[in-house]
Amino acid sequence: MKRPTSRKSLFCILPFCIILGLLVLFPVLVAFSNQQGVASKVKKATQKLDKQGQVKISIPVPKNIVKVNEEYQGGVFFTEARKTEIKRFRCSSCHNNKKVTILNAADISHADIQVIHGDKGKPLACDTCHSQDDRDFLVTSKGSKIDLDHVYDMCGQCHFRQKKDWIGGAHGKRVTYWAGERVVKNCTSCHNPHSPRFEKRWPQTYSVPHN
Amino acid sequence: MDSDKKKKINRRTFLKGTASTAIAGSAVVTAGCKAKGLLGSSEAFALEFQEYFKKHYRLMTKAEREGTVARLEKLARLKQNITINVDTTEPVEKVLYGYAFNVTRCEGYMECVEACVKENNLDRKSNTQYIRIFEMEHGQMSPDQGDGKYFHMVPAEGHFYMGVQCFQCQNPPCVKACPTKATWMEPDGIVVVDYDWCIGCRYCMAACPYWGRRFNWNQPEIPKEEITKEQHYLGNRKRVKGMMEKCTFCIQRSRKGKLTACAEACPTGARVFGNLLDPDSEIRFVLENKKVYRLKEDLGTDPKFWYFID
Repeated sequence: MKRPTSRKSLFCILPFCIILGLLVLFPVLVAFSNQQGVASKVKKATQKLDKQGQVKISIPVPKNIVKVNEEYQGGVFFTEARKTEIKRFRCSSCHNNKKVTILNAADISHADIQVIHGDKGKPLACDTCHSQDDRDFLVTSKGSKIDLDHVYDMCGQCHFRQKKDWIGGAHGKRVTYWAGERVVKNCTSCHNPHSPRFEKRWPQTYSVPHN
Repeated sequence: MDSDKKKKINRRTFLKGTASTAIAGSAVVTAGCKAKGLLGSSEAFALEFQEYFKKHYRLMTKAEREGTVARLEKLARLKQNITINVDTTEPVEKVLYGYAFNVTRCEGYMECVEACVKENNLDRKSNTQYIRIFEMEHGQMSPDQGDGKYFHMVPAEGHFYMGVQCFQCQNPPCVKACPTKATWMEPDGIVVVDYDWCIGCRYCMAACPYWGRRFNWNQPEIPKEEITKEQHYLGNRKRVKGMMEKCTFCIQRSRKGKLTACAEACPTGARVFGNLLDPDSEIRFVLENKKVYRLKEDLGTDPKFWYFID
């Protein structure tokens, strides 16, 4: 005789199967939702934060800074001033139409400056950057005058890729603090504008071999 | 019920009792002996004795933290005659620290290594360093092919430089390996060590795939005048022989808004440090606009340290 298939018992098992299935599925889902890690956390964080509110100490803003004429990700930022760093600024105190009245004028001429900047075939001349009409300013190839504090506009003519990175924060570096008002180094804080490449030198320290 | 009968004495109350009697006893003993014998000053001895009975950092109440900080500061004054400031600054809200390293810009000057050693009071005797800079040939990808002990004029032709340190993984294998829960990840993403709970088993050292942890094989020696006085309980405070230590993204600096010592010292701007949760931060710009990669990403440790190229 053929045994009757127990449809009734199958219906009894079904809810148990569903519950069992959920029990297995739930931990798997939890495990996967946790696995996204830092990348998803970063993506979720789109809310702008209050600059000063993040860290509960007063962050001093360094002196000798100027506001940059560009905006980064929707905010203003500052850079180190240049004019206060140049010892004999204003240039026009010597470079004018009057007679040179300084005793040691020969010694303080700019003969020590070596220009290692630009292609080997056609290095830059002084007046590529320095204005001949107004010695206190730089001049772009299109003839607009640039203040020495905003030298990034000058460098950015050729090094536009670096300038873009500098505005965003991938090139150059911040001054002292990661929180608070954004103050970054100017181009000329790190690079000598006359020979901008970093020099070859000995490392500051050494590592002992491990193992 | 049964529980009423069992109330007499259990392990917890027994230990509590012995601890408190020991502290009380130590106070009596040390108050009695005024002579400065083998143990140094009696006050220092009493403080050191009390230090043995403090809790795990995460279990301490605010008052207990203040107590141990006061003891540590007093001990430094008594034993080394220096005034230090140990702080226990809490993590800043809505902050997750991240780091990016520009392999194109690094020139191998190793100024970061020196700044790190000074800032974090690392042992000068065994030359402990948290950061290691590898000199690699163009085309190499992994630092195990590079030269970590170069000493010549840098940058060398045809080479690039890659700095390696603790990557502050978001899924840290070292934390899982620790048998005493002496190491953990703080809410701001920094993996720290409670030096007083570390038993020196070095399981974490074995678990770390990046060689990010250092062990004190000997009593650390730092010249007195070079000790960094601004310290953090979980950061650059005094370590002794047999303790594990590691890079903490300069917790004593970063929680106050400063850059880490290595990022501040870098002369080429190859190091970018900032808040990953702040869409305006530089690190976010790097992650969104540059080609980035992480070391041994397939291991699933989820490091918060990215390398990028210009």
